[in-house]
Amino acid sequence: MKKKYGTLALVMVLALSALLAGCGGSKESGGTAGSGGEGTKTLKIFQFKVEIAEALNQMKAEYEKEHPGIKLDIQTVGGGSDYASALKAKFASGDEPDLFNVSGYRDLDTWFEKVEDLSDQPWVDDVVDVAKEPMTKDGKLYGQPMAIEGYGIIYNKNLFQQAGITELPTTLSELEAAARQLQEAGITPFVNGYQENWILANHLLNIGFAHQEDPDGFVKSLNEGKGTIKGNGVMDEWINLFDLTMKYGQKNPLTTDYNTEITTFATGEAAMTQNGNWTQVQIDGINPELNIGLLPMPINDNAEQNDKLPVGVPNNWVVNKNSGMKDEAKEFLNWLVTSETGKKYITEDFKFIPAFKSIEANSELLGDLGTDVMKYSQDGKALSWEFNKFPDGGMNEFGSIMQGYVAGNVNKDQLFEALDQAWADLKAK
Amino acid sequence: MNRTKASRLLQQLIFVGPSTLFFALIMIIPFLLGLYYSFTNWNGVSSQVQWVGLDNFITIFTNDTKFRDAFWFTTRFTVLGVLLTNVLGFFLAYLLTKPLKTRNVLRTLFFMPNVIGGLLLGFIWQFIFVKSFAAIGDLTNLAFFNLPWLGTKGTAFWAIVIVFVWQTAGYLMVIYISSLNNVPKDILEAAEIDGASRGQILRSIIIPLVMPAVTVCLFLAISWSFKMFDLNLSLTKGGPFGSTESVAMNIYYEAFTNNRLGLGTAKAVIFFVVVAIITSLQVRFTKRKEVEA
Repeated sequence: MKKKYGTLALVMVLALSALLAGCGGSKESGGTAGSGGEGTKTLKIFQFKVEIAEALNQMKAEYEKEHPGIKLDIQTVGGGSDYASALKAKFASGDEPDLFNVSGYRDLDTWFEKVEDLSDQPWVDDVVDVAKEPMTKDGKLYGQPMAIEGYGIIYNKNLFQQAGITELPTTLSELEAAARQLQEAGITPFVNGYQENWILANHLLNIGFAHQEDPDGFVKSLNEGKGTIKGNGVMDEWINLFDLTMKYGQKNPLTTDYNTEITTFATGEAAMTQNGNWTQVQIDGINPELNIGLLPMPINDNAEQNDKLPVGVPNNWVVNKNSGMKDEAKEFLNWLVTSETGKKYITEDFKFIPAFKSIEANSELLGDLGTDVMKYSQDGKALSWEFNKFPDGGMNEFGSIMQGYVAGNVNKDQLFEALDQAWADLKAK
Repeated sequence: MNRTKASRLLQQLIFVGPSTLFFALIMIIPFLLGLYYSFTNWNGVSSQVQWVGLDNFITIFTNDTKFRDAFWFTTRFTVLGVLLTNVLGFFLAYLLTKPLKTRNVLRTLFFMPNVIGGLLLGFIWQFIFVKSFAAIGDLTNLAFFNLPWLGTKGTAFWAIVIVFVWQTAGYLMVIYISSLNNVPKDILEAAEIDGASRGQILRSIIIPLVMPAVTVCLFLAISWSFKMFDLNLSLTKGGPFGSTESVAMNIYYEAFTNNRLGLGTAKAVIFFVVVAIITSLQVRFTKRKEVEA
């Protein structure tokens, strides 16, 4: 009998130890990677830009050659996948990355207690002003901007010519005239990707916010429950732009997703579409010969006020405050924006518009759209990206509401009321 | 006596122990943690977790029309999904237990959609609804194909129902086939000799004898359609304008996109209770209808 219990105990011990070994294994290797003084250290990077994943891997080889003893472990989750959820899962599981991405304002608030203050880094002075603000809190900078991006109405120059449009529209009436001219020439003026919440609720809705006299104050007033979208003069003008795109748009905008939108535009089936300079790569993939440019998104007939593109920072590199590899992570970020190799990758391989004064953009590689964004940004004709200040979950909620307007389920007043209501619900914590 | 007791204990430990351990690790502990978080206002990231008592549940019941809409959508979807998948599954099984030449090929064909994951299926059908249907509509001018299938409230709902039924009916069919094959031949023959019509045989003999399969199939269909998420995500993402947002998706958005994990888990707890009650009622109800040959 004693023997039996002996076997039982043995089995238990075996099972437990197997389990513990299984669980402990990963932790152990993580531990040595983080703190081990000798041998190689692994810097864990968790990033969001799918477009640059391949180039990052090439850069990894060069970085490891220049920095013996450091290995980069780069993971990319993005595109169609949900980066924020994946990042939360990483943190919850204890497998925290050393370097990851955070977008500004609201997202910075969410991750605030995990990110390291980077104000003392050597590259800070070179960051262009527009890229600093989203990651600044109490005068300290918490992230390194990845790039600068801009959006607007992408237009097909050849189709414009074909329709006989010689002067580029800068006001709402001119835009409508151009659209009518295109339609009369048998060309679909707009292709709208209104199935995508981010196209509607981030980029399009932002126009109404960015044209406010004091955009930041407007957002604050909404958060404090003092202001409303309904009855706001600028929003009343903004809706005309929204209506215009639909009036001259293709049929079924609600079943047109990002891919369909870009494909339709790139194959010349429509003359205009609302999107940003990041589409260049995809458009080139479909039709490299396409002659395109970016137009501002006008909400009224004031040419000077409207001749601006919304320019902002899509994402920022941040260092995990609790990582054992903080110095290595900072060194990596420093290398990325100061070394010749790093700069070369940013401009030539990632094809980014750099967010640094010290890095010269390569306009040949940027393509038509990037060049236009850069031109507007350098001329100081930029609007802000207010959508990063929207409450968490605002994109989905506002997107659904705006889709209801696209479908004709609600009128303008109901749309604004619903947006106000959703804002109030989401900001409540 | 003691010896056999010990050996039985050992056997139980060896056979059930590991699975119990893992069940506890990946089901019970997360469930209890979730229960705990449903009483907090944790945002999913912060290290501060504040106990808020019943606040989350109060918010859900008093001030969350979206959750109510999602529940109503899921209920409608479940009723239709369960009915259609079971009727179609049984019908296919009944046909494919007849001596047809193409029987095996057809069985494989109908089962196949189940092998593909829901996420992939959703993307494939999105393409079919948006591109293929439009192309067919252009060629034939049939109104059915010219509908903006994923673009309006009503059609998007039916689109999900259609794909769900297509995906799961094959699985239920397999269960029904095995059950139909187990109906004793002598009873069927006896009935035939007694002059029973086909309809009578089906109604009075076959259906009562396959009731155990009905119990299983109803249970599966109910829990699948209630918890549907992947299909929903890839086919409509809850759109257009949030009209096809299932409860599972509403919970996901609340917890991970709105950064209100506490509120999200509270919804999940409510959801769990509802699904548990409905499925156990159903199992009890259909169990009563089961008969022995």
